Amino acid sequence: MVQIIFVSHDGTARTLDVAAGASLMETAKAHDVPGIEAVCGGNCYCGTCRVRVSAEWRDRLAPPEEFEVELLNATGESHADDRLSCQIPLTEALDGLVVHTPEQQY
Amino acid sequence: MTDRAATAQACPAHQGRDDRKSGHLADANLRPQPGARVFGSFAAGRDILRSNKMRQGGAASDATDLSNPGDISFFFLDGDLHRKRRAAVAGLFAPKTIVTRHKAVMDRTMDVIVADLRRRGSAPLDELSWHMAVDVAAEIIGLTDSDSNANLAERVRSVLDSSATRKPGWLGNLVFNAKMLIRAGRFYKHDMVPAIAARRVTPKDDVISYMVQENYSKKGMIMECLSYGGAGMMTTREFIVMCAWHLFEKTELRERFLNGPEEDQFAILEEILRLEPVASLLHRRVAEDAEIGQAGAVKSGELLAISIRAANADETITGACPYELDPDRAKRMKVVGPYMSFGDGPHRCPGAQVALHETRVFLDRMFRLPGIRLVSEPKVSWNAFIQGYELRGAVITCDPA
Repeated sequence: MVQIIFVSHDGTARTLDVAAGASLMETAKAHDVPGIEAVCGGNCYCGTCRVRVSAEWRDRLAPPEEFEVELLNATGESHADDRLSCQIPLTEALDGLVVHTPEQQY
Repeated sequence: MTDRAATAQACPAHQGRDDRKSGHLADANLRPQPGARVFGSFAAGRDILRSNKMRQGGAASDATDLSNPGDISFFFLDGDLHRKRRAAVAGLFAPKTIVTRHKAVMDRTMDVIVADLRRRGSAPLDELSWHMAVDVAAEIIGLTDSDSNANLAERVRSVLDSSATRKPGWLGNLVFNAKMLIRAGRFYKHDMVPAIAARRVTPKDDVISYMVQENYSKKGMIMECLSYGGAGMMTTREFIVMCAWHLFEKTELRERFLNGPEEDQFAILEEILRLEPVASLLHRRVAEDAEIGQAGAVKSGELLAISIRAANADETITGACPYELDPDRAKRMKVVGPYMSFGDGPHRCPGAQVALHETRVFLDRMFRLPGIRLVSEPKVSWNAFIQGYELRGAVITCDPA
């Protein structure tokens, strides 16, 4: 199992214990985590599953590919720790991951 | 017994209600490519479409010469080059860009459409939806220096008609090539040349500016513009009319659309699209022997066809009564609203969100017009080229200004 902590825009933290394998976005949607839209269903085409990864976890994730970077830039509020949650597959190595969700995606 | 009939009998809540308007026509006309293995399960379809063992498939793809990628549309490419070309313009289609930039074009276009409709008193609905689709696609592509958008639309339509009416065989190819040469040349001269010239002086944030910057060939530019433009214009025209038809007919649904928040409006449109996908089939060619998730084993060179209509009615992800129009379905089932209607994987429709937004803007404005009525229902016909429906003959009226 992998423990993920979603912190919403108002500071409310929600801890989920989930099986590895799905993406962070799929996990968020399956558990109705607010602030994640993912209107393209996880194809890295809409940029509406953006999360901000806690700084201590940044280097433990695989770096974003070109397509993800393009979309993050297109959201207009890019930050070094922003990622698209559909591009983060959950593995045991991410046990304890903390991510912050925005109030709205756009 | 057909799948549909079996499903309908099994729907206990509403005695097999089938709200689709294009369902019977699709059942009668849907034609996968010869030799294709057809998949109707949502999970199998998604696994195929997301697999990196797949290449674009179908008649047009098989006839495309891939030896010079610079001369062909992104649509026919796969792998890194495809990702690179899509990534470069991905931001143009992102929801954030739509609401901050393209929404203004949609609103302006709707101002013109509404003023024109109120002056005339009545108009063919597909003419109005075409107007909207053309204006929005032109802005995103960068086809903004033509003599008029009406002429631009006509030239794009004539090029696309060449493909739609293409006949097989050497004579068919000869006629097709001759028509394409003339029509695409006209489109290039009147629409692309002025747009390219303007962007060489002042680059903008659009597809043509990117192509100028990347030194695309003339042929490559034409093919890319026609792919983005053709898809955006043709499919959105039909989708807007289909949604309007449902909403004219269903008073309660129309009231919900007009009184609900945007999120609910989108849920209604997406559910209509689930039932009435504009394109019905997607083909893929297997690049190498592989085991593809729910689709199982596939052989190199094999042609696969994903039935979007069947996938969208797969009860494992729709729940009961898959042919009933239920805007709360996707949220309840935790599935993306349009299901498979925009495809999936690397080739998922880039303009999906644009189409939904412009349809929402169009219908929200139209249904608020005083005296708005559908006086003539559309006739549904089948376009074998895109394996999808076309809706013609719908006429709307409203109170004059």
